[in-house]
Amino acid sequence: MADEGHAPTTGDAPARRRGQGELEAQVLAVLQRAPGPATAGWVQERLEGDLAYTTVMTILSRLHAKNAVSRSRSGRSYLWQASSDAAGLAALRMRRMLDGEADRDAVLASFVTALLPHDEELLRTLLDAASADPAATDRES
Amino acid sequence: MGLFVFLPLVLPLTAVPIARLTEQHLHPRGAARLMTVISAVLAVCSVLCLGLIGVVGTAQIPGNPLPDSWSDPEVRAALPYHETVGTAAMWLLALVGTACARTVVRHLRVRARARRALSGLPAGQGSAGDLAVLPDSSPYAYALPGSPGRVVVSTGMLDGLAADEREALLAHERAHLRHRHHRYLLTTQLAACVNPFLRPLQNAVAYSAERWADEDSAQAVGDRRITARAVARAALVSHAAPAPGFAAFAAPTAAAGPVPRRVAALLGPVPTSRNWPPATTPAGLAAMVAAIGTAASALCALNAAVALLVVLKAVTPL
Repeated sequence: MADEGHAPTTGDAPARRRGQGELEAQVLAVLQRAPGPATAGWVQERLEGDLAYTTVMTILSRLHAKNAVSRSRSGRSYLWQASSDAAGLAALRMRRMLDGEADRDAVLASFVTALLPHDEELLRTLLDAASADPAATDRES
Repeated sequence: MGLFVFLPLVLPLTAVPIARLTEQHLHPRGAARLMTVISAVLAVCSVLCLGLIGVVGTAQIPGNPLPDSWSDPEVRAALPYHETVGTAAMWLLALVGTACARTVVRHLRVRARARRALSGLPAGQGSAGDLAVLPDSSPYAYALPGSPGRVVVSTGMLDGLAADEREALLAHERAHLRHRHHRYLLTTQLAACVNPFLRPLQNAVAYSAERWADEDSAQAVGDRRITARAVARAALVSHAAPAPGFAAFAAPTAAAGPVPRRVAALLGPVPTSRNWPPATTPAGLAAMVAAIGTAASALCALNAAVALLVVLKAVTPL
C-alpha cells in the first residue's frame, strides 16, 4: 500500500464531519462485497440509510484520492472497485491520527516509549542476556 | 487560618522522593494506585487552596461579582487577605481550569479519532476479538480504551517480534485495558496540570503502569524473559524509525531510560506482591511519609475551606 499519509482534502475540507470515517468504511465494505466493478448507483442501493447519489459520489472520490478504490470509465459513468481492504483504510486513518496528534502517547498507552541515546546499547546487552537462556529460542543474531 | 493555607500548594514538592521510593520498593500495581491517589488528593487540595486565597483576596476589590457583604470589615478582620495574591490566585485558577479542560478534550479527541479509524474493522469473535492488526510498516502498538477496549498493532511491529514475543505484547496491552490504566494516566495528568510539582508523580505513574502491564504479561506468557525480550525488541524496532526530537534533548543524562529499566526489572526477580511494605523498611517509611504528607495537605485545605465557609456564612444574609 502506498503511503497516502495525508490524502488531498479534495476541496471539501469543512466536510470533516463526524461519521465521515464510518461512511467511507461502509462504502468500502459494499464495494468489497460486489462481484466486480460496480457503479455508484449500485453502491447507493446497497448502502443502509438514504444517502444521496452525490454523497456516494463524494465518498467514492475521497476513497479514490486515498487509493482505497480504483475506477475505470465505462461509457458516461465510472465503475468502482475496492483496491484496499478495511484494514488498509483503518491503517490509513490511524496513521493520520498518529501523525496529527503530537502527544497521543499521553493518551494511548504505547507499548514502548522513546529511547534515550544510551538505551540502544543497553537494550542490546539486555536482549543478549534474555536470549542467553537455553530454553529461549535462538533467534537472536 | 494563617500561612498554612499555602501548605497544600507546596506540599506536592514531596512528590519527587515519594515517586522514587515507591517506584523502587512497591509492586508496580501498588505503586501506581498509591501515587495516583496521592496526586489526586494533593491536586484537589491545591485547587481548594487557590480558590480560598482567591476568594478572600479579591472580595474587597470593587466591582467583583462576589456578594458585598463578603468585604465586610468583619471578614477583613477575621481572614488574612491580600489583593495582589488573591488576584494572582484567581488568574492561576483560571489557567488551571483551561489546562485541565484542554487535557480532557485532547484525551477524548485522540480516543475518538482512534476509534473512528477502526470503525470499519468489525470486532472479531473469541479471545482475539479485540485485536486490530493494521497493515502499516511503521511499528506501533497501542491499547485503545473504551467498551470494548481494543488492541491496535501494526504489522511493522509484529514483523519485528517472534511468535512468543507477540503473545507477550498482546498480554501487555490487554493488561492496560483490563486494569483501565488510562484512568490512572488521565488522573495524574490532570493533577500535574493543577500543580506542576506533581509532574514527577505523573511520570512515575506512567512508568508504573507499564511495569504493571509487563508483570501481568510475564505472568500470562509464563516466562519473564519472553516479555523482557518483547519489550527490548519492540523498542529497538521502533527506534529504527526516526525517534521523536524530544528524546535527543535528554542526551546528556547517563541514566537509563524507562525502557531498559523495564527490561532489567523483568530480568530481575519477581516483585513482592504485598501492597503495603512493613513500616521499618525504607519503602514503608516512604509510604508513611507520603500518607502523612497527603493527610496534612488535605487537612490544611479542609480546615481553610471550613474556616472560610463559617466566616462567609456568618456575614451573608441568606
